[in-house]
Amino acid sequence: MGTENTSSANTPPRPVATPFAAPQSTPFSSSRPVAGPAASAFRPTPGLAPQTAVPLSSSGPVVGSEASGYRPMPPGRYSGPSVPPPPSSYGPTAGGPFPRFPTPQFPSTTQAPPRTLPVGQPVLPSHPAGQVSSMTASISPLPQIPSVPMGFPPQSISSVPSSVNAPPSSIESSFFSSRPNLQPWSPPMGPSYPAARGTFQPALPGYPGRQPNTESASFLGHQGGYEPPRAVSAPFVSHQGGYVPPPPLGAPQGFYPRGQMQPPGSAPPTGAVQGLIEDFSSLSFGSVPGSFDPGLDSKALPRPLEGDVEPSSFAEMYPMNCNARFLRLTTSAIPSSQSLVSRWHLPLGAVVCPLAEAPLGEEVPVVNFGTTGIIRCRRCRTYVNPYVTFTDGGRKWRCNICALLNDVSGDYFAHLDASGRRIDLDQRPELIKGSVEFIAPAEHMVRPPMPPVYVFLIDVSISAVRSGMLESSLTQPQMMVVSDLDDIFIPLPDDLLVNLSESRTVVDAFLESLPTMFQDNVNVESAFGPALKAAFMIVSQLGGKLLIFQNTLPSLGVGRLRLRGDDIRVYETDKEHVLRIPEDPFYKQMAADFTKYQIAVNVYAFSDKYTDIASLGTLAKYTGGQVYYYPSFHSAIQKEKLRHELTRDLTRETAWEAIMRVRCGKGVRFTSYHGNFMLRSTDLLALPAVDCDKAYAMQLCLEDTLLTTQTVYFQVALLYTSSSGERRFRVHTAAAPVVTELGEMYRQADTGAIMSLFSRLAIEKSLSYKLEEARNSVQQRIVKALREYRNLYAVQHRVGSRMIFPESLRFFILYGLALCKSAPIRGGYADVQLDERCVAGYTMMALPVKRLLKLLYPNFMRIDEYLLQISLQADEFENVCKRLPLTAESLDSRGLYIYDDGFRLVIWFGRMLSPDIAKNLLGEEFATDYSRVTLCDRDNDMSRKLMRILKKLTETDQSYYQLTHLVRQGEQPREGFFLLSNLVEDQAGGVNGYLEWILQIHRQIQQNA
Amino acid sequence: MAWEPILWVIFLVMTMVLVASNMYQLVCLSDLEADYMNPYETSSRVNAVIVPEMVLHGVFCFVLFVTGHWIMFLITLPIGCYNMMLFMKRKHLIDVTEVFRSLNSEKKNRIAKLGFYVILFALVIIRLVLSVMNHIIDEDDAVHESAMF
Repeated sequence: MGTENTSSANTPPRPVATPFAAPQSTPFSSSRPVAGPAASAFRPTPGLAPQTAVPLSSSGPVVGSEASGYRPMPPGRYSGPSVPPPPSSYGPTAGGPFPRFPTPQFPSTTQAPPRTLPVGQPVLPSHPAGQVSSMTASISPLPQIPSVPMGFPPQSISSVPSSVNAPPSSIESSFFSSRPNLQPWSPPMGPSYPAARGTFQPALPGYPGRQPNTESASFLGHQGGYEPPRAVSAPFVSHQGGYVPPPPLGAPQGFYPRGQMQPPGSAPPTGAVQGLIEDFSSLSFGSVPGSFDPGLDSKALPRPLEGDVEPSSFAEMYPMNCNARFLRLTTSAIPSSQSLVSRWHLPLGAVVCPLAEAPLGEEVPVVNFGTTGIIRCRRCRTYVNPYVTFTDGGRKWRCNICALLNDVSGDYFAHLDASGRRIDLDQRPELIKGSVEFIAPAEHMVRPPMPPVYVFLIDVSISAVRSGMLESSLTQPQMMVVSDLDDIFIPLPDDLLVNLSESRTVVDAFLESLPTMFQDNVNVESAFGPALKAAFMIVSQLGGKLLIFQNTLPSLGVGRLRLRGDDIRVYETDKEHVLRIPEDPFYKQMAADFTKYQIAVNVYAFSDKYTDIASLGTLAKYTGGQVYYYPSFHSAIQKEKLRHELTRDLTRETAWEAIMRVRCGKGVRFTSYHGNFMLRSTDLLALPAVDCDKAYAMQLCLEDTLLTTQTVYFQVALLYTSSSGERRFRVHTAAAPVVTELGEMYRQADTGAIMSLFSRLAIEKSLSYKLEEARNSVQQRIVKALREYRNLYAVQHRVGSRMIFPESLRFFILYGLALCKSAPIRGGYADVQLDERCVAGYTMMALPVKRLLKLLYPNFMRIDEYLLQISLQADEFENVCKRLPLTAESLDSRGLYIYDDGFRLVIWFGRMLSPDIAKNLLGEEFATDYSRVTLCDRDNDMSRKLMRILKKLTETDQSYYQLTHLVRQGEQPREGFFLLSNLVEDQAGGVNGYLEWILQIHRQIQQNA
Repeated sequence: MAWEPILWVIFLVMTMVLVASNMYQLVCLSDLEADYMNPYETSSRVNAVIVPEMVLHGVFCFVLFVTGHWIMFLITLPIGCYNMMLFMKRKHLIDVTEVFRSLNSEKKNRIAKLGFYVILFALVIIRLVLSVMNHIIDEDDAVHESAMF
């Protein structure tokens, strides 16, 4: 099945290829597409065709392999000129071609020779007749024209320069037209880019049809289907003939399309620009690589100013896949062999956010099979999904994951139409959508669905009273009070939990009395552990959610914690990580027990002093909860934030008593999982409560050395109880092609998913090693990955001192830097408070991809101009205010800026900002200390506008409340804390800035290249 | 009385218990891996025998030392130290929340220990047999001597 899919996807390019079939043997199919376009351009030289045909066929197999693997060609190939077989044919070429082709196209042909030489020759040595094949080979790997000249055999070189710019516009155009469905491709390359892409496609390694062994079969199929293209091919053949004598020449033609970044007729490509023609991106450094004057404009570095871009090619290839918001693979091309995996130095895996919020109109359809029962594979328990195939007249279906033939039950039977599709397809969302929900029958319940229970555990020690934490207005509470420490008992087990709607007044009254009740409390101790146990006893029957409001370090009873983390000497030693893991095994044990009884724990920590979040957070980590942190909480300032986040916590759609499993096709296996959950068995995640703000990452490995299938399917299944008391499955299915080429894996890489996995791995590493090592490991992996990529292309492309990286990973380096500067692994003792570090760690372990990327590289915008323009409305805000690079250079002391990382908003007032603006926004307080000023509607246009902007920004990301901080330029240390330390591109505290970071990575890549 | 053979019989029982304890833990871990048991049960079962096993090993070492079986003592000492180290670091118990992450290393660890104890078991048996033989020979000698006079 996989084959069919892929072939159809690729078909556009193929037509060109078909023509070939007639003259030559099938193996060449891969090369043809490229040749085709070129061929058309070269019609004038038909006569020679016959000769070529034979040689070509012999070389065919080679071509196939080459095409499939984008790998760097072995150096030996370069020797092109010297290669024995080619020379003979070649000789004529160098001198000959020019004279020979007086025809109008001549210019183009001439060019070809020079370029092709490097390419074509590689093939030649073994297969003299390999022109055609060489073309293919060259096509994919050698996008870069610029590099070519360097490699030439002396003879051809001389001709090169002149020919280079000949770019036959006609070729390009023809090329284009022949492939109507080029997939959208990122634009950086300009006009030439699409062309390049086109060439690439045909050669895509991963596609079943392309591979040498399968090739002939697929080829035949195409032939039948694609008759029309033949006409095109015919020219090609003839053209080929013309080129026969100079085998290398053929290759060049293929090249052309690529090379032509420039519009036809433009001047010959200059080296640096040309690099971009590639299917990779590159950064050119000055003549001295790594020198401090890198010749690199820091403004030109890639920056994700558009935010996260989900990879689209994947979704297009498999339109029935679930949306990327639910499941993202780190690369949408699964490697076919262990050796490929080991050369892919980035994490291979997926990030799953099973309950991601779907926009209106894209809700996940709910399917109720009723008495039929849910349709699942007998053997591997896969749920029915769009990729299963029905056979035998609709009486059987084949599981796409384990390939077992299952019977279709009578109730589910439907006839198949002529194309083998079920006739009731459009009424079966589970067969056309990648994401569905099934109503689970009773056998999937261990017990009847429980009502959602929320238990609040509130710290009433003196610091809590003082901070005003108790005044916070809780929205839907149920409560209990624990008074005994050593021998905990529960006074009235049944009556402690109250039904909110029935006893709302009691609850309200209690909450109101809470502050007064403890008004005179001078107790500084907190008996957290015993309280936790009591809470556990209360809810263990029902499960539910436990919200812990903690203001001080637990100091009494079991689970008491010491003040640690103050000891600066521990840092930079091997014991440093101990501070970041729970001190007392009690917490881990409690967490495990909570999970066992389906209790999720959310920790709200308020203290300005050390509260040992590392220990408390463990409760949230293993119960699928999360940690909220309000450092130096004061109700006047942070009330709104607490209210918003608490409300969100209580009211967002929550799945209770959930378990999640990810199934995947034969040959691959998920080996490790990362996030806030507990593993119930090797591949089963226990999640007492899940919601849309939680994502889970996992890594894959291959079980066998070689994958034989052409497509790998993934199915995420989440079994949960909805808040309405219904047991449901949520199933997301996705397919990904298996590829044999490293280049393709890089091309299909998803920076967001990779960063998500990366950050989780780094944070986990920081729990058992020094921070420094966590950062180094990030850097090392980036270097390794890019070095591997460089090796892939360096040989054929004359990369020189340029730094190359795949288009798909162009922001990867920056995100890597941002990760190293993110709170969980940044700096050392003094850079981030221990508690804050731990909170950030726990938070990032659960963040969905988009929010993580926003946190790593926040939005940064200048808004004063927008505020001054009266005519503009709030909805135009997005258009007017562009995101700026996160560097101090973006700051203008006359401006007003907003920094938004999804967790807080910082408004930066430049020193020279017109007082009008400040006055309008802040009223009379504009000159005072900004830490005490709050923004509110000041009843003037500008202020209203600003408030609208803020509202809009907060609305786009509901999961956290972005408290607004005002900062004035030069107001230390607030400015440094809120803004300057977060400008990730700047050099700060001995840590690299973006440019230095890139240079450093570049140097390391080259060191062992 | 034949103290020596009796001592070796006691050692034999001890080694058997150690072997059995390791086998048991290994089976629990394999069950966990094969999803026959949940992590809570596995870790509580395994953790329940870990400390007794360590204590037993310690006693074993100590008795060997006291009774002057130096070579055997030296053979068992490294594992005793290793246990001690784990205990001091409070890493001797299985962490229920992260069982799966440490599953492989824990299993390998136990397989190695099991191998060690099996070898130890063989050694103890040999020594037991030797001591019994010696004892019999001694008695024979004694009989002979008494007969001679």
